[in-house]
Formats: sequence, C-alpha cells, structure tokens
Amino acid sequence: MKCVRCLLQLQSLRLLGQSTRCSAQYSSLLPSASSQPGLPHSTQQQVSRSFHSSSACSKSRPVPTDFLKDQDGKKDKSLVVQKDLFEEVAKDIKTKATFNKVVEVFTKRDVRRRGHVEFIYAALKKMPEFGVERDITVYNKLLDVFPKEVFVPRNFIQRMFNHYPRQQECGVQVLEQMENYGITPNVETKVLLVQIFGDRSHPMKKYQRIMYWFPRFKHTNPFPVPRQLPEDPVDLARFSLTRIANDLDAKVTVYQVPFTDVSESGEDITCPHIVGIQSPSQMELLAQHNPSRPVFVEGPFPLWLRNTCVYYYVLRADPTPEEKKEEPYDPERCFDYPLQLDIDLERDLGDDEEFDVEDLDEGPVYAMCMSGQGDQATLNQWISGLQQTNPILGQVPTLFRLDSGPRDLQGPAETESGPRHQTDTETHNQSREEVQDEEAEEPRRTQGMKQ
Amino acid sequence: MFTVSGLNTRTMMNVNRIVALSKKSVQVGQRLLVCNSNPTGREVLRLQQRRSIRTHSRNLAYAKSLFLGQVNKAEVFPYPEVGNEEAEEIQQLVAPVEKFFAEEVDSARIDQEAKIPPETMNGLKELGLFGMQVPEEYGGLGLSNTVYARLAEITALDGSIAVTLAAHQAIGLKGILIAGNEAQKNKYLPKLASGEHIAAFCLTEPGSGSDAASIQTRATLSEDGTHYLINGSKIWISNGATADIMTVFARTEVVKDGVKADKISAFIVERAFGGVSSGKPEDKLGIRGSNTCEVAFDNVPVPVENVIGEVGGGFKVAMNILNSGRFSMGSSSAGMIKKLIELTSEYAATRKQFNRSLSEFGMIQEKFALMAVNAFVMESMAYLTAGMMDRPGLPDCSVEAAIVKIFSSEGGWICVSEALQVLGGLGYTKNYPFERYVRDCRILPIFEGTNEILRMYIALTGMQHAGKILTGKIKELKKGNIGVAFGMAGKRLKSAFGSSVDFGLTGKDGVVHPSLEESAKKFEQNVAFFGTTVESLLYRYGKSMVDEQLILKRVADVLINLYAMTAVLSRSSRSISIGARNHDHEVLLANTFCSDAYFKNNYLMTQLQKHSPENNDANIKKIAKEVLENRAYICSHPLERTF
Repeated sequence: MKCVRCLLQLQSLRLLGQSTRCSAQYSSLLPSASSQPGLPHSTQQQVSRSFHSSSACSKSRPVPTDFLKDQDGKKDKSLVVQKDLFEEVAKDIKTKATFNKVVEVFTKRDVRRRGHVEFIYAALKKMPEFGVERDITVYNKLLDVFPKEVFVPRNFIQRMFNHYPRQQECGVQVLEQMENYGITPNVETKVLLVQIFGDRSHPMKKYQRIMYWFPRFKHTNPFPVPRQLPEDPVDLARFSLTRIANDLDAKVTVYQVPFTDVSESGEDITCPHIVGIQSPSQMELLAQHNPSRPVFVEGPFPLWLRNTCVYYYVLRADPTPEEKKEEPYDPERCFDYPLQLDIDLERDLGDDEEFDVEDLDEGPVYAMCMSGQGDQATLNQWISGLQQTNPILGQVPTLFRLDSGPRDLQGPAETESGPRHQTDTETHNQSREEVQDEEAEEPRRTQGMKQ
Repeated sequence: MFTVSGLNTRTMMNVNRIVALSKKSVQVGQRLLVCNSNPTGREVLRLQQRRSIRTHSRNLAYAKSLFLGQVNKAEVFPYPEVGNEEAEEIQQLVAPVEKFFAEEVDSARIDQEAKIPPETMNGLKELGLFGMQVPEEYGGLGLSNTVYARLAEITALDGSIAVTLAAHQAIGLKGILIAGNEAQKNKYLPKLASGEHIAAFCLTEPGSGSDAASIQTRATLSEDGTHYLINGSKIWISNGATADIMTVFARTEVVKDGVKADKISAFIVERAFGGVSSGKPEDKLGIRGSNTCEVAFDNVPVPVENVIGEVGGGFKVAMNILNSGRFSMGSSSAGMIKKLIELTSEYAATRKQFNRSLSEFGMIQEKFALMAVNAFVMESMAYLTAGMMDRPGLPDCSVEAAIVKIFSSEGGWICVSEALQVLGGLGYTKNYPFERYVRDCRILPIFEGTNEILRMYIALTGMQHAGKILTGKIKELKKGNIGVAFGMAGKRLKSAFGSSVDFGLTGKDGVVHPSLEESAKKFEQNVAFFGTTVESLLYRYGKSMVDEQLILKRVADVLINLYAMTAVLSRSSRSISIGARNHDHEVLLANTFCSDAYFKNNYLMTQLQKHSPENNDANIKKIAKEVLENRAYICSHPLERTF
C-alpha cells in the first residue's frame, strides 16, 4: 500500500512538472484512449487509475475543453508529423504492405526513434484504415518500434516507481487495441514486451491479463458466427437458416437458385433465391394441422450475423386453443412390458423435480425461408415448393402477413438482401396486407410448382 | 384376493391375541408390526391355506412376492426333482444327442459356409429334436420343460443349430401348441414335429419391434368371408427362407360394441398358400448357420380357420409365446460354459510360462472360478424355473423366465470372453472355436426380447404387483396417518437396532442346509431391504416410475440377484441333503455367489435411496443429453490449444 501511494505521488509530481504537454497531446489524439490528465488537481487520481481501469471509464470522464484548447497550438506539430508520414508513404494504396512500409520508414529514419510514442498512437488509429486491425504480426511490428531495454527498470527504486510511464502506457494502449479487436497476443508479443519494458511492467501485466481471459472466453459462445460470412446468398441463407433452426434433423431445400433471365419482351427478369428449412417434426406438426384453420406466412424478421443483417420468413399457425388430448392408454400396445403402471399413486412432492414453465401463446412454426425478394409471389413459390412434401398445404388456406420490410433495422451495414428488400417491399407497400381467398391462390401455386 | 383377505383376518387375530389394545386407529400400524414379527407361525398358517388354493391355480408367484419383501419359500424349496423314470428317460435321450453333436456336427464348417448341411439337419430330425415339446399324440417327444432344458444344454454347443431349433419350436410352432385348436394341431403339428416342415415366427417389422401399434402388415377378410388376404413384410425372421409354416401377426379389423378397431391377430400361414417370398439371407456376426431374412406377404390367402385363438386376440398369443420361450437360455448358456471350461482348462494346465503352468497364476484361476460360478448359477436358475413351470396348474413364471434369460445371456457373454482371454492371441484366431463362441454369444442379449426391455418387464411387473397391494397403505401414510407412520418407524427402528430378519429359511424348520446358513441370512436381509426399498420407491414415484428407467434397471438387477441366490441356495441344500457328487463344491460356489451378490445388492439398493451419494443418475442423464443433442462426442481434443 505504502509503495503504491509513493508511486502515485511521485507520478503526479512528475506529470505536473514535466510533461503535461505531451499527455495533453495524445489525449486529444486519441479521445477515446485511457489517459487523460484533467485539471492539475485531479491528475493524481486519474493517472494512477489509467493502468487499472478500462478505457470505457475514462472515456466518459469530461475533458475540460478549455485545457485542450490551450494546448492546441503546441501539440499540433508532432501530431501532424506522424499523420503525414502515413499520408506520405501510402497515399492511395492502403494495405498491410504499405502500413509495414510506413513503420519501417519510421524506424529507419532515426536511430533514437524520436517521437515513437506519438507514432505508435497515430499508427494504432490508422490501423483499421489499412485493414490490419486484426493482424497480430502488425501489432508485433508496432511494438517493435519501441527501443529495446531502455525502459527496463535496472534497480529496485526504478522498479518500485512507475518507470517511463508514457511509454508503458503506450504499450498498454497497443495491447488494449488488440484486446478490443479480440486478437490474442503470441509469444513474440511477450518477448517484445519483456525486451522493451521488463517482466514486471504494466504492459506485461496487461499481457498476462489478456492471456488469462482470452483463452477462457474463446469458446464461450456455443453458436459462433464465422468472421467470414459466405458470399453466395444461397450459402448465407443456408447458414442462417440452420443457425435459427438449430435442429440437426432439419433439412435445407433450395427452392430456387438466383438467376437472371431475358424475357420475351427483352426485359431482364431477376429471379431471387428461395431457400427454406423444415425438420421432420415440423412436417409432422403440419400434417396434424387442422385444415380449416389458416396458416400464416410472416416476416420479414431480421437476423444479425456480426454486422450483417439478413431477413427470414416463417410459416406458422395460431396457437391451437384446444388442449392436446392424450392418446388413450392401450394395454395391448407393447409386446414385452407394460407401458403404464395401474397404480393410484402419484409422484411424491419431494421427488417432483419439475418446475412450472409458463406456456407462451405462440403458435407452431412449420417452416422457415429466406429469399432474395420479400414479395408475395416469391413467397408463394416457396409455399408451393413446400406443398410437394407437405400435401396438406393444398387444403389449408395460406395468409400472407408481410411487413413493409426492413426499414430502421437496416443499420450501418447494408446487406446483400437489404437493399433489394427495400425495393421489393415498396411495390406492394400495403403493410400487413392479408390475402385470404384461397381459391384464387390455388392455381397460382400450382403454376409455381411447374416452374 | 383370497390370500390377502385371509392374511388380514389372520393377522387381526394375532393382534388380538398378542396385544390387547383398543383397536381402530392403531390397528393398521399394528398389523404391520405383526406382519414382520411372527413369520414362522404365519408360515404354517399360510401353508395350510395354500394347499387349499392349489387346486384352483397358483397365483403366488415367487419373484413377484419378493417385491413385497416376502419369501414364498414353498415355491422354490425344495429344489424341483425329476422322477426316477424321467431321469432314465433323460439318460436315454441325452446320450445319442451328445454323440451326434460330438461326431456329426462340424460347427466350424457351418459357421464358414453359413449353412447347416442337409445331412446334419436330417440327423437332427431323426433324433426328434424338431418336436421336443410337441405332445406324443402329435408325433413329438412330449418333453417337459425340464427335459427340454436338459437337451438345450447340448444343442447350444452349436449356436446356429440352437437358434434354428429354437426359432422352430420355442416360438415358431408354439402358437399352434398353446393357442391352436384341435383341428389346427392335428393338421400341422405332426409334420412340424418330425421336421418335415420348418416353422418360423413372424412378428418384427421394419417399423415395429415391441410396439404393437406400429405393425403394418394387414389381413383383410375376403368378400365371401372364407379367407383373409395378408399383405406386408416382416424382417429378421429366423428360418425365414426355409420355413413352410409361419405364425404371422397382422392387423385385422374387429368390430367391438359397434366400434371398428384394429386389433392384432395371429395366423398360420403355409408357404404353399402362395404369395410368400423371402429376401436375401442376412449376413450376420454370429449364428451364421441359421437363416435370417425378410419375408414378404403379397395378398397371401389364408383360410379363416387358420386364425390362432380368436380374431383380434393375437396380442395375447404373441405375449404368451414370447414369455414362455425364454427360460431355456439358462441351460443353453450353462451347457456352453461347461464345454468352454473343459476346453480352456486343458490349455491352462499344459501351457507353461516361467516354468509354471498357466493354471498356477491367480488371474487365470479367477477366470475359471468366474466361469464355474456362472455356470452353476445359470444351471440352478434354469432348472428351478423349468421345474416351477412343470408343476401342475397354470403357473405364471414369465418374470422368472425373463430373469433367467437376462442373467444367462450376460453371464454367458462374460464367460465366453474370459475363456478366450485365457488363450490370449490363440483364442483370437480361427484355429480355435472361441472366437466363434464369442460371436455366437453376442446375439443372446439381443434376441427374444433385448435385456433392456426384459429388465423393464421384470421391474414393472413386480412394481405393479407390489403397487396394487401397497397403495392403500402408502395413501394412508401420505395423508399423515399416525398409526401407519408409527408402524413404519417401528419397523425401521427395529431393523436399525440389528434385529435379524427371519423368513424361516434357516433354523429349526428351515429349508436351507446349515452349511449355507450365512448365505441364507444374507439373502433374507437383502429381501427385507428390497421390500422396504420397493415401498419407498412406490411412495416416491408412484405410477410415474415407468419413466424412471435407471431406477427400474437397478430394481431388476436386485431381483435377478435375489432369484439367483434363491436358486443356488435351494439347489445346493438339496445336493447336500441327498449327498450328490461333489456337493461340497456346490456349497462353496453357492456361498461365494451369495456373498458377492449380497454386497452388490446392498450397493444397488443404497443407490436407490433418496439423496444417495452413490447415485449418479442425474449426471448420467445430463451427459447423455449433451452428447445426444450434438450427436457427437463434444469434448475438445486434448491436443487442442486456445491460445
């Protein structure tokens, strides 16, 4: 405790006297970054915290604007220098190679690596632009910019106090960004950190914490989404549908592969893909469906896969009002043993390990599909495809209850199905339209089957 | 019903005699107390009472009564015997059959060619082995169950022959034998008994094993009402390609109380009726010489007089056939193990390692002890059950028969595998018959009702029996009847303070020989513990027990052990008393088995107690659930890395 207190005091002193300028510089450089020494009287607390708390905390801390303004003129210089380096070397092509080249240029320019902290901060910020934010080798290369062995404490006093805090914090920042992008450091990272900061430094501790948690969290998601989603819309639909259904028996059927055709009148006709999924138990349920009650095609519902959004449709029915009647016990059912005990004794309360689950009034879902277009004609094609394996659909009235399509859910990432949906749904914009005449529907469906 | 009410009046008298207390509220509790305290006196009474019942039917089954913590010792003591004449008859029958199997049957060839050669079949027919249980007036040997079991010991030396014979007469023609009318018997049995016609039993279908509701084969009555037309297909039919006469189960429409319903009926179908075709023989792991194939029926016309029993009564026929055919597996397995002991002990005595013969090594000795004990127990159970079935009246020994089947199929498998182990690598080659025995033996736990299904049958039948009787008492207890509760508590306390359980097996009027007293005591303790366990299980699970398969399995296992203990106790007591050859060895075997089974039973029943730490069921279910959800082994590979 005592030690820590000393450390804090010393640090704040040093900061006050020495390098308020610098810290202010990068605080504006990285507004979301961790260390933002505020007003001098609060410095002590904040700086000491920055090693132990996440950046999220410091982000919310109000940065006094006047303070930043004051420093603006001074800090601009070095900032511009580093940014320029990136702009200079890699003007048009922003790739891993050019990024590496920038780093190389910087390292070769000056033996003393002057301004390397600023450079690293700038590089960190530029990484997503160059598309290298998930590349462990690039992070290692960036750490390699630090001069080696200079910041390693050599005696117990140095070790006790925060040795080269700016550099250490910069190192932590590199690791922090790795953490945010879910990149697990490797042995090279560790070697570099030991070489640069020594084995008890703050970056090293950050490294150890990451190495403690990351492997443990690697498989926490039982339904992982691959980083690279399939490009082909049919494959994507297949993947998404199996993901929603989560049933090993469920069978995916491609009712229509997407293709473009030229009609007789010379217009281009694009036929959207239609991919559906249905499990044997769903087929069984559908076969037991009361034909006098309608089934509904509903949708679109969104499904997010990382930052892609896809839409799906379901074929469902209203919850059956009548209770399912139990099959009467047939004593002549099993040749080998009685299927029921003829005793007037219930399970004892003490051994009743079941608990009440409130039943939701949600009807059965018979099938799901994804399609390039969300209009009724396309979905009708799906239903007619389903009818081949579920003959009962020929007798059941099918109602289409389609929403006007994805609007606000579109979000930042425009998906493949997204924009097309937008256009499709505009054509029949009557939201939640209900078409009920089954007689009119029947022939259309058979047409769809012929196709 | 008669027994129960009789027992009640009797105990009430006892209550009045022993403790002169005011009745009513305390009555029930005391009845319970007394039930347990005075077994010997009661036994006398019961014997008298039973004698009076005998003439009607014997409804006091032995195994079922164990569920109530009672020992119906009159059923199993003394061990059943055959008369002198019958013993002589057995001698005359056994010798030629043994000779035939030793000299004429080439099992290796049968296995290799997957066919029983015609000359062997003819030999079997000449010996009359195709009609062992067919009465003499129909040209069969008319053997009792006991003698049938004795011959099964020998026929079991070749698995293919044993299965062919069993499919023919234990199930194939059994329907005609037990449920057929005189005309049917006269028409079919003589030719079947002589082996001129081979029989098969057609029940299993692609979509139906034990489930009668999913039988698809249908018999429709023709318009003139003279015959049925059978359509459908049956799979895994032993003798399917060779059979001339088949017992076929099919769905028929029955009108009962004005309501049309589908019911199962049994038919005698001749191949000569036309429309019967059999598929390619299955290529099997073991019993390769026996024929198993699919049989298809395409509009097979079957005259109405060929219905076995009545139309719609096929379910009962099927159940009776299945239940009655199982007991002989005990003696078959025992016969096989006895043969294996001969074969392996010779090897163990001659093979030398480190200048010592194999037979001097403890681990090898253990295997022989295991085989001997198993053979002894199987034999004892098989002939006890056969003897019970041979007694006059209509005995219901289906639970006992199922017990014998389970024990002998599993014991047989272990013993065959251990016998092969004695020979090591040699046993694994085709130069020795062991690998064939291992393959043949593997079918035993599967056919004639899988062991899992039979365990359910045993446990549920017993629970049903116990439940009928105990329901009233348990209901009182659940309602909070002080009297009953005190009665229970008293009983528990008494057993806790070490008052020994006494069913009168030992002691002055005991039926067990004093040299087996220890084992008999262990058995009695087990039975008493079993009774209370069953009671608490009924209390805890009631009729929802059907779904507690892991519990039912343990209940069945305990019962199997208890019945096995009974059988060895009874048999060796008799052996000592009549001075049978090597009866001291029997006592040794019996004592070894009983103490072994005693501890196993205690462990099993401890697992059945509430909150027992020995019970891992919840975990077992969870493991299975997780594996089955993913349909794969889901652990990551030990060499996998996460960083």
